[in-house]
Amino acid sequence: MSKITRRAALTGAAGLASLPLATLKFARAADPTKVVYWHHFTSQEEFAGLKAVMEQFAKKFPNIALTQENIPNPEYMTKFTAAVMAKSRPEVSMVAPERLPDMLAMDGLIDLTARVNAWKLKPYFPADRWVGATQKGKIYGVPAFTFVDWVYYRKDWFQAAGIEGPPKTLDEFVTAAKKLTDPSKNRYGFGLRGGPGGYAYIVDLMEAFGTQFVVDGKNAMDKPKALAAVKWYSDLATVHKVVPPSAANDGFRQIMEGFKTGQTAMTWHHTGSLVELVRAMKPSEFGTAAKPAGPAKRVARLSYQYNGLMKHDNEQAAWDWIAFWGETDPAIAFLEATGYFPASTEVAKDARITGNPLYAAAAETTTFGTLPPAFVGYAGWSQNVVLPEFQKILVGQQNAEKAVDNMMKGLDAALN
Amino acid sequence: MSESPVLKRSLAARLSDGRAWPWLLLVPALLLVAAVVLYPTLTGMDISFRQMRLNRPALGTGYIGFTHYLAMLNDTVFWVALQNTAVWVVVTVVLELLLGLMVALALDVELPGFRTIAVIVLLPWFLPVVVAGNIWALMLDARLGVINAALVNLGILSDFKAWFADPAWALPAAILVEAWHGFPFFALLLLAGLKGVPTELYEAAAVDGASLWHRIRHIQIPALRMIIVASVVLRAISLMNSPELLLILTGGGPGYSTQVLSLYAFQKAYREFNFGYAGALSVVMFLLLMVGSWVYVRTSNALKD
Repeated sequence: MSKITRRAALTGAAGLASLPLATLKFARAADPTKVVYWHHFTSQEEFAGLKAVMEQFAKKFPNIALTQENIPNPEYMTKFTAAVMAKSRPEVSMVAPERLPDMLAMDGLIDLTARVNAWKLKPYFPADRWVGATQKGKIYGVPAFTFVDWVYYRKDWFQAAGIEGPPKTLDEFVTAAKKLTDPSKNRYGFGLRGGPGGYAYIVDLMEAFGTQFVVDGKNAMDKPKALAAVKWYSDLATVHKVVPPSAANDGFRQIMEGFKTGQTAMTWHHTGSLVELVRAMKPSEFGTAAKPAGPAKRVARLSYQYNGLMKHDNEQAAWDWIAFWGETDPAIAFLEATGYFPASTEVAKDARITGNPLYAAAAETTTFGTLPPAFVGYAGWSQNVVLPEFQKILVGQQNAEKAVDNMMKGLDAALN
Repeated sequence: MSESPVLKRSLAARLSDGRAWPWLLLVPALLLVAAVVLYPTLTGMDISFRQMRLNRPALGTGYIGFTHYLAMLNDTVFWVALQNTAVWVVVTVVLELLLGLMVALALDVELPGFRTIAVIVLLPWFLPVVVAGNIWALMLDARLGVINAALVNLGILSDFKAWFADPAWALPAAILVEAWHGFPFFALLLLAGLKGVPTELYEAAAVDGASLWHRIRHIQIPALRMIIVASVVLRAISLMNSPELLLILTGGGPGYSTQVLSLYAFQKAYREFNFGYAGALSVVMFLLLMVGSWVYVRTSNALKD
């Protein structure tokens, strides 16, 4: 019997001790690649849609462990900025086009141009799909779906009031709103969003009246045109009184509740709220329409929502996730859950879209719709200056001219 | 070789005998305080003197002296926010203190069911601000709000009121919501203070024929003075620095009628990415709190006890 020396015993013990480490190494080799996805989906429908897409993705890519993290939309840039500053970025982030300049200015996204150009589905995404995610010729996001701005209107009230269809111009819009307003019944012609998120409609109207905002990095606002727009919009509350008294504080939830509960006859939002209304109201009660034309232009936004990569770690797996949204099955699954339009022309030909009359207005809007403005400082200017200055008109604290002066000063400050 | 432990021990022994020893023992704690408190505070102050606009990297991050502070002088929103902040902090603290004192005095009597009632009273404090804010936004809603419905049914209002869309009512309504959420903080601390009042004092007062009011006025409130001063300072700091509730209820609007400094700093930092200006606003808030707290503590004579 051989004698076990002290050295041999120690060597054996060391070998045994290293076994779990070796096993761990093997286990790690087989571990799925981790991808963290930041998004700002809010509603039940959106979460159902995301779940459907994630389930399909998990089947196709079992070696990728995808984790979704929901960041409330108003805090999205706060978290994004903190992640960039603290170097704790997720692999993938949702990218709204109006946020792209700010995200890029803080070096928060990585260049995807080479990957996009080599992507087999790129032919189904025409050039306009990429504008909102492109800067200086480089692409920083892949379109996932589209928000198409449109009008919801009470079909039954329009018929009862003898109004022929939804308004096509802003003049027709005011006429219809006046006819449908009856404060004694707590009924108003239009659910104006003057609270959180309401800045977008003020900006849209200024453009519909003919002003530009930034040209060659300089303030290009045309005061008379901007003033006409702001006056038209605020007159709905202060002169025509066709909006609920709560308009100055009404955000998304309030305008939707106002429409669903029979307080308002029309409201502006995008295709994203269709599923909620279909569930809450009868088909005979409401319809959808393209937004009315302004004196200079018909403005409705096509907001392609993108997914972009924030870091090079696990880059292939992260790319697989954002490219997956362009495929037919996940895009249709997401549409069925949320009503959100696919960004791919191939998917848009699907019978489930072309056969639904409620989507006709969205199809019409895609023929003239434009992307929201995108310049560095837009988010701060529109939310910190445009909206509160407009609210001050609604509550009688100042007139439209003073508000436009302050908006123009605010834009100067944002650009300088 | 065997001398080394002896040498080490003698070094430690020599150090522990010296006058520097207590200071050496404090070093780890001081380093921790410097890392956790001093460094972030000084960095925040440093940022306020720099051009820190994250979405304008071409401007650089160099020192620009007092530019942000001078800009504040001509910033009308800053002055409105300063005024609103004073109202927001002072009125809310006074309301919460009065409510908290009344509740603490009532709970101190220890009637049957006292513990259950105490838990119910403290519930608002346990609710996250986001939840409390959304609950009240719904209760005060101009379409579906139960408070509006109750006021209309009682004949106090003729119609549902849009509280947060009216500049005259938006800040008072938000203050009421905050007072509801925050008064249990005072109730809890003051109740703890009342439990520490010696029963002999109450017995002596009873012998002297003191009324309930005299008991409160001459025994309980004086006994609570230190707690009141400390809790008022803590709560004022918390209110000054927390924009969450106003962010949920009004976003600072309509117009700037509910804009306060903390919310303004938040919006400057995370909507405009102007961290330099936001830093300067934070320094102003810091100074206001320091001076305000010092004046309050001095005038309350709390330290003389």
